Amino acid sequence: MEKLKKLFSPFSVVPLAGWLLGGFSAVLMEYYLGDLISYYLYLPKIPVLFGTLIMLKKPLLIPSALAYDLIVYIVPIFLVARLTAPLTNGLAALLERMPLWLATLIHLAAFYGVLSTWAGISDYRVLVVKLTMISVILTLSLNVINGYQGEFSCSHPGFMALGAYASSILTLLLFANDKMFGAPLLNPALGPYLFPLVLVFGGAVAALGSLIVAIPSFRTRGDYLAIISLAFLFIVKSAIENLEIFGGPRGMSSQPNYATLPVVFSWMALCIWVVHNFTTSVLGKALNAVRDNEPAANSMTVNTRKTKMTAFMFGAFWAGVAGGLFAHVLRYVNPGTFGLNKLAEILAMVYFGGLNSIYGSIVGALSISVLSEALRPLELFKWIIIPLILILVMIYRPHGLISFTELNVKGLIRPRNKARQEGGE
Amino acid sequence: MRKLIYLVLAACVLTLCFSANGWTLGRETVIKVGINAPLTGDIPKVGEGTKYAAEMWLEDVTKAGGIEVGGKKYPVELVIEDNESKAESAVTANTKMITQDDVMIIIGPQSSKQAIPAGDVANNYQTPMISPWSTNPDTTAGRPYVFRGCFLDPFQGPVLANFVTEEFGFTKAAVLYDVASDYPKGLAEFFKAAWEEKHGAGSVVAFESFTTKDTDFSSQLTKIIKSGAEVLFTPQYYNEVALIVNQAKDLGWKGPIVGSDSWGSAETVQLCGEACYGLFFSTHYAAAGAQGATKEFIDRYNAKYGYVPDDVGALTWDALRLAQTAIEGAGELTGDIKKDRTAVRDALAKIKDFEGITGKMTFTEEGDPIKCAVIVKISDKGEYEFYKSICP
Repeated sequence: MEKLKKLFSPFSVVPLAGWLLGGFSAVLMEYYLGDLISYYLYLPKIPVLFGTLIMLKKPLLIPSALAYDLIVYIVPIFLVARLTAPLTNGLAALLERMPLWLATLIHLAAFYGVLSTWAGISDYRVLVVKLTMISVILTLSLNVINGYQGEFSCSHPGFMALGAYASSILTLLLFANDKMFGAPLLNPALGPYLFPLVLVFGGAVAALGSLIVAIPSFRTRGDYLAIISLAFLFIVKSAIENLEIFGGPRGMSSQPNYATLPVVFSWMALCIWVVHNFTTSVLGKALNAVRDNEPAANSMTVNTRKTKMTAFMFGAFWAGVAGGLFAHVLRYVNPGTFGLNKLAEILAMVYFGGLNSIYGSIVGALSISVLSEALRPLELFKWIIIPLILILVMIYRPHGLISFTELNVKGLIRPRNKARQEGGE
Repeated sequence: MRKLIYLVLAACVLTLCFSANGWTLGRETVIKVGINAPLTGDIPKVGEGTKYAAEMWLEDVTKAGGIEVGGKKYPVELVIEDNESKAESAVTANTKMITQDDVMIIIGPQSSKQAIPAGDVANNYQTPMISPWSTNPDTTAGRPYVFRGCFLDPFQGPVLANFVTEEFGFTKAAVLYDVASDYPKGLAEFFKAAWEEKHGAGSVVAFESFTTKDTDFSSQLTKIIKSGAEVLFTPQYYNEVALIVNQAKDLGWKGPIVGSDSWGSAETVQLCGEACYGLFFSTHYAAAGAQGATKEFIDRYNAKYGYVPDDVGALTWDALRLAQTAIEGAGELTGDIKKDRTAVRDALAKIKDFEGITGKMTFTEEGDPIKCAVIVKISDKGEYEFYKSICP
């Protein structure tokens, strides 16, 4: 470990802006030279997920795929990041003097540039990135309830289903000409602009639905909430199955294609920002107090009931938004999707990444989604490897990989030259 | 720092040296056929049948030296993707095969909940797709690039209603189905509509439902027995069929029980035992007493994998043969995958009277085949015997 740290010590002076620049040069290189490089490495095409899929399918190509990763990603990222460090540190210092929101926005825009160029190589990447970002929203929203609030809620797929159906019904009714609801009520050209409102509506429906769980169950704690919320999940699922007007078990299809990469990205960024603000607000602190000791919090004038209710509805709202995005990415929803399998998937992401942590949620959602996509060629063994990793994480890090840390944007984007080191970390 | 540079350089040199191993796999024109199958998840047996049929087909094609298009033989490669029996995975698998693997045509997904969203992807990218087993009309409706290999529920329902009427002369029927699963529900409704059209409103005297994974059907069955129905129709999957038939017999049900193509799995008789002997169901093909190409396929499959293929295997085989016929009929391969896909799609739509092992088929405008249904009787030995063929 010590040796590894020493090996990477030259890179400790690279600020976030430097890494972004490195990433940008790598994706640009892939964009212009990727095809040529992969051709000379005898790869059939530019490898999509860093070559994992092709490595598992054709082991003969492992060296080629690794060489591709080295040439296209690893070397340029590290080289450019290190070489431009003096420049990017200056840039970071400049950005640090700006208002924080502006600096963050600039970083986000740069990150989006890297991401969209990378994803632009193939539509498969776009889809994987979109589904991963939706998982990030879902994981964050469940982390509010299971992490910050300390309850164990199982109804998240139910909230997601409510959001997915509510927003699908709205877009199909208003903007699409389909079999179920007939001609659109509004001009379809308005659709993309009103889509945020549709998602908010989906989230609001999910938040209202969450009251059905919240009102009776917050008289109880712990296991009881788990059982009540699990029951809620089944209620939602079978209610939709029996609602013939919304397609019943056959589901609803042909939602308009509104959930594009920038839309999903901005919703994810918004979600991270709002959840961060929520958890660091007075309400968030009160929530943590309720989690640690409810009677004590109550005696310290925290309105525990209101706090829990708000947090629960807040979590459900974002699950509903994620559901709405999910429905418009797949352009098909059916109640069967929102069952126990989905629940297991989201729970795994939350507990893998880490409770009470935004970094953790992002890491958890990212690693589980990308792993399950990258290991798909292993078929059955995938279902042995991923649970095994989960078990190991639970044994060695019972609260997840990165738990109980706060998102520190200022610390992330600060310049890293030596002069300022004394204040760092 | 220096160490790091050396390390990276060494890694580069090493991987570059070994990447020469890939030389034999250079870029030549290969016809790729995508298989989108549920290898893991709820219905792994379906995925297995799909995979086995595909592998058998590939063996045949490789033996013949590839597929001949426009006087030139091209090697064929299968791209098998697992869709985990999930809608979103079926969509990602399809997107990956189309944009990444450059497949010419996709076979699958099998169940409608995956075939509907995956068909949307295939149609958007103008890639032909044949779902061998999906019976939901939405899979192909309004999608010129999506086809299917089986008949639809709106056809199967009336076939069964007519068969029961002609065979037994009954006028009162009962239906027991799973309300939470789209296939049984759809078929139950189509059967009801066809039956009532024949015998007047109210002739379906009991229309009872349950929810997936229920195991006790006694209250529904008691109602059905009391209603005075003469025949019970239950379009369920094999595990439920065994429970329903046995519980009905125990409660004193005397009449026949009729099923649909979901009964066609080899497991039905194993689980159900003697209670199922003598019952009828409609399906795509009958394994016992099959002849010609069908028998050849069954024997080969049985010898290779140790069991008689069910309808999924047979339908997948037919879908692959259809794909092969379409590719062969596409004229010439230009090497531009987009043009070739459209050419294959046009050739597929033009196929007439294709002799499949599950019957003759011709595609309608929607991409649904016009083909005959087979009524199968479960014999006293527990084999699926051909009883009757009903054509549209």
